[in-house]
Amino acid sequence: MSSTVASPMSTLASSSSGRKSTSFTPELQSMMFSLGDARRPLHETAVLVEDIVHTQLINLLQQAAEVSQLRGARVISAEDLLFLMRKDKKKLRRLLKYMFFRDYKSKIVKGIEEDDLLEDKFNSSNTNKRQKLAQDFLNSIDQTGELLAMFEDDEIDDVKQERMERAERQTRMMDSVQYAEFCESRQLSFSKKASKFRDWLDCSSMEIKPNAVAMEILAYLAYETVAQLVDLALLVKQDMAPKAGDPFSHAISATFIQYHNSAESTAACGIEAQSDAIQPSHIREAIRRYGHKIGPLSPFTSAYRRNGMTFLAC
Amino acid sequence: MDGVSPLERYLERCEGQFKDDLSASPQLFTPMSPYDVDLPIQTTEDVWGSQLNQPKDLSTDFSVDLSFLPDITQDDKEQNLSEDGYEKQKELDGSISRNEDSGIIVDESSLSYSGATQSSPEASGTCPPLIPMTPMTPVTPASESSGIVPQLQNIVSTVNLACKLDLKNIALHARNAEYNPKRFAAVIMRIREPRTTALIFSSGKMVCTGAKSEEQSRLAARKYARVVQKLGFPAKFLDFKIQNMVGSCDVRFPIRLEGLVLTHQQFSSYEPELFPGLIYRMVKPRIVLLIFVSGKVVLTGAKERSEIYEAFENIYPILKGFKKPS
Repeated sequence: MSSTVASPMSTLASSSSGRKSTSFTPELQSMMFSLGDARRPLHETAVLVEDIVHTQLINLLQQAAEVSQLRGARVISAEDLLFLMRKDKKKLRRLLKYMFFRDYKSKIVKGIEEDDLLEDKFNSSNTNKRQKLAQDFLNSIDQTGELLAMFEDDEIDDVKQERMERAERQTRMMDSVQYAEFCESRQLSFSKKASKFRDWLDCSSMEIKPNAVAMEILAYLAYETVAQLVDLALLVKQDMAPKAGDPFSHAISATFIQYHNSAESTAACGIEAQSDAIQPSHIREAIRRYGHKIGPLSPFTSAYRRNGMTFLAC
Repeated sequence: MDGVSPLERYLERCEGQFKDDLSASPQLFTPMSPYDVDLPIQTTEDVWGSQLNQPKDLSTDFSVDLSFLPDITQDDKEQNLSEDGYEKQKELDGSISRNEDSGIIVDESSLSYSGATQSSPEASGTCPPLIPMTPMTPVTPASESSGIVPQLQNIVSTVNLACKLDLKNIALHARNAEYNPKRFAAVIMRIREPRTTALIFSSGKMVCTGAKSEEQSRLAARKYARVVQKLGFPAKFLDFKIQNMVGSCDVRFPIRLEGLVLTHQQFSSYEPELFPGLIYRMVKPRIVLLIFVSGKVVLTGAKERSEIYEAFENIYPILKGFKKPS
């Protein structure tokens, strides 16, 4: 069931031929660089990542549309997406922190820009609107009180911590020019190109469309998916790097070897150049491991897994 | 507008008053803290300058006799100035009214550090030799500290005019006033000197923004109050309070924000996809700093100038630690 995402190259080829004119591949390459990949991420990797993100977001949108219909609403709103994410507390908390930061940043920037001051007065009801929205909604669906406890929760987000450390390590060695490029790449996001993002998701052909806050969240989830993929792929890459004295280096998973060999170029120097960047094989292996259900109760842990799509972002 | 001719008559009457004011005021000064230096005398100087250089409009009128506005406590203090510092300020402020905003930067920096070198080009020949002003923050001579002074960019203040106002009336009779009740329930008024914007509410409360110093904000607020008064409302000038001050400066080296956000996690948030700057929430003093890769720093949330200077002095050594070597 989860093979829809981890399927081998045949489906990749067919879906990319059916790709619409909008493509985020160059932006994705920059994004991957800012998230920890090599200086010039591979084009094939970016295409694969785009495909995965696209598929997952379309599925997410469909499920959100179903939830919306259940509610009897006419647009997909933030509440629907929050509802879909309710099972994974860590990811939900990260999303909430993101929303609060957005509110906070608007508040501060308004205080600084004098021209915006008047707009601020006009829209004074908008301060903390996302926070209020999230709080109200979670209040309404919270049965056990654990969701609301998240607002007070101040635990460190391990994944974010790891990303920060990785970025710090990456930038330590850079010079001014490289660092400036890195910063620009970090500023890329799906929310900056809202209309292109909408086209990419083909929102216009949907019956129930997402509203503005929902689009913000979707852009965030797309970015999170890319970030998760890079995190996991780097982990896989690290695993696969032959380490001296590693007793299990002979026990590398068979699937990985198969993909790795097919993607490898024959020239020796080619291997050198490519070894730094994330390969599509790393990504596929990461997806395979992520979707692999381990443990006695794993088939029953998430409701949406019934549909066969294991979402990376939620 | 309707009130133009009576206005002009009023202005002619006021001109006579000027001379009296100017001669009377010098007697009122006594030494005081450097902050409030660029002040009330500035008002009359200001008016001289503006009277001579700008076409008469509603705004030049007000500076004439603001003393009628009973201002609690601060008013008396403001009349007092330190000796030399005040002289310099008078010249500076005279020049300020002539050279829009550029002179103001010099004004600020000269307040906290011995601004002798900076102020001499600005001040006219009559300026007496300057003594170093006492710094705002209790310490460190320029060589030990960063040597960079944040410039104030915006001051937001509020004042209570203590009377109900008819916004429609005000919008109709005042120049440079906008009122769109469907969009927002306040009159938006602007004056050119100091260049500020005010939001005037029907309850009598007013918000004044855009000034580059505390005294300019106060002066502007008084001018707006005068406008309202002239329109026939019994406006007073109660509880003038500075709500927010924004300053900015440049440390002149690139900063590695990833390092900063990692080591100062509890205070900083950095989401480059959302906003290119790092948001640093300093606890003492309670100031929010926006730190950018280029080295520009914006400080906001201060109620007093000293908080901005203190916050910058606190952050400077930290930023130096994350300087990106080129």
